[in-house]
Amino acid sequence: MEAHLSPSIIMRVHEFGESDLLIHFFTSDKGRLKGVAKGARRSRKRFVNCLDLFSLSNLEYELKPKGELHFIHSGKLVDAYPGLRHDFSLLSKASYMIELTEILFPLGVPDSRMFEVLEAALSQLAQGIKADLTLIAFELMAMSLGGYGINLEKCCVCGRDYLSEGIAAFKVEKGGIACLKCQHISAVSPQLSPPTVKALKTMQSPSPDVFRLLDWAEDLMEEIKPVLKRHRDYHLGKHLRTADYLE
Amino acid sequence: MEIYPRPLENLIEQLTKLPGIGQKSATRVALYILRNQKGLAEELAKNLLEVKEKIRFCPTCFNFTDQEPCAICRDTNRANGVLCVVEGPGDQLAIEESGIFKGRYHILHGVLSPLDHIGPEDLKIGELLGRLEKEEIREVVLATNPTTQGEVTASYLAKILADKGLKVTRIALGIPMGGDLKYIDPMTLRHSFNSRITIEP
Repeated sequence: MEAHLSPSIIMRVHEFGESDLLIHFFTSDKGRLKGVAKGARRSRKRFVNCLDLFSLSNLEYELKPKGELHFIHSGKLVDAYPGLRHDFSLLSKASYMIELTEILFPLGVPDSRMFEVLEAALSQLAQGIKADLTLIAFELMAMSLGGYGINLEKCCVCGRDYLSEGIAAFKVEKGGIACLKCQHISAVSPQLSPPTVKALKTMQSPSPDVFRLLDWAEDLMEEIKPVLKRHRDYHLGKHLRTADYLE
Repeated sequence: MEIYPRPLENLIEQLTKLPGIGQKSATRVALYILRNQKGLAEELAKNLLEVKEKIRFCPTCFNFTDQEPCAICRDTNRANGVLCVVEGPGDQLAIEESGIFKGRYHILHGVLSPLDHIGPEDLKIGELLGRLEKEEIREVVLATNPTTQGEVTASYLAKILADKGLKVTRIALGIPMGGDLKYIDPMTLRHSFNSRITIEP
C-alpha cells in the first residue's frame, strides 16, 4: 500500500496507548479517515503541532493492511486557526461544524467541495467576525452537500415554480417550500419571505467564497434559524451534542 | 473455542478493558501473572481494591488523595495566595517533579471540549472560584496544556478571573529547551515572539 499525502483537517484527537494518538481527519481527496500517529505524543520532528484539534495540516498516511485504520507517518502544519483557541463560543461553533460533518459524511466518502467548505468556514470563524452567520451558512452548505438541501425552486406540494415574489411556507416533512395555496403559515410551517429564500439559495450554494460575502440582516437570520433547526432535526433525526454549547 | 482455560480467559478479558491494552498485551500480562509467584497476584488484587476504597478527591484542590486534605494542601511551608490551575493530576505531578512551583494547586479534571460534551459545568471551575476568596488568592497561574482545548480553557478562565482583582498569568509557550529554530513550526514561533521577555544584563 502506497503512502498518500493530503491536506487534512483534524477532527478528533484521542490518546492511544503509551505515546500514540488516534486521529480522525477529513482529507481533501479521500474524505473522512481514521489513523494512528505512532509516537505522536513524544515526537518533536514528525508531528510538530500538526495534530491539534481543527488544525489544517498536510498529512502523510497509509492504509493499514487490514481494516479501515491508517498509519499516519508525518505531518506539517498549514494553519492552526489560532482565533479558535481563545474563545469558547468559537470553539463550540467549530465543534458543531465537525460533528455535523461526521454525521453527513461517513468514513471514506470523498467530497472535495465539503473539504473546501469546512476549511473556509473554520478560517472565517477563526477571525471571529460574523460567527453566527458563518455557522448558519456552513450548516446550509453542508446539508446541501450531504444530500439534505432545502428545495427552494418549486412548491413541494403542487410543483409550481417559485418566482421569488411572494411569501412561502416551509414544509419540513417535504424538505422544501410550499406556496400559500398549498400550505398555510403556522408554527409548524413558518413563513419565508422572498429575501430570506434568496439568502437561503445563496448560502446553500456550496462555495467557500460565500463566507467572505456574508452580509444579511438580523431579521433574515431570525427567519432562517427556526427553519434550519426544524429541517436539521427532522431529516437527520439526531440531536447534535455540540449544539448544547451554541447558546 | 477458548484457547486458554476459563479463569485465564476471564483475566485477559478484564485486562483488555484497560486503556492502551489490547488482546496481545493483555495475554502477555495475564501469562506473566500466572507464571509468577502467588504473592504478586495477591498484592496486585489487594492494591487494586485499596485504590478503589481509599483514594478520593482532595476536597480543596481535587487531586487524588488518601487523606483529607491532601499532602500539598496540608503543607504549611507552601506559599499561600498563589494557585496553579492544571488539567489533571498527571500535570500537577510533572510540575511538582520540576520543583519550580511552591504554591497551591487546583485540578480542573479536564478541559472544555464540546465535541466530548464537556462544558464549564463539568470542570471544577465553581470550586476554583470558591477558593479565591476563602484562601485570599493573589495570583492564579493557568497551566493548562497548549492544545486547542487547553488554550480555550485558559482563555475562558482568564475572562472569568479578570474582574476578580487578581493577577492572572499563563505559563510561557514557545521554543523548548534544546530546540532548533529551523524545525520549529510557525505557530510555536509566533507564540515565542509574542511572549518574548527582556534580558537583564
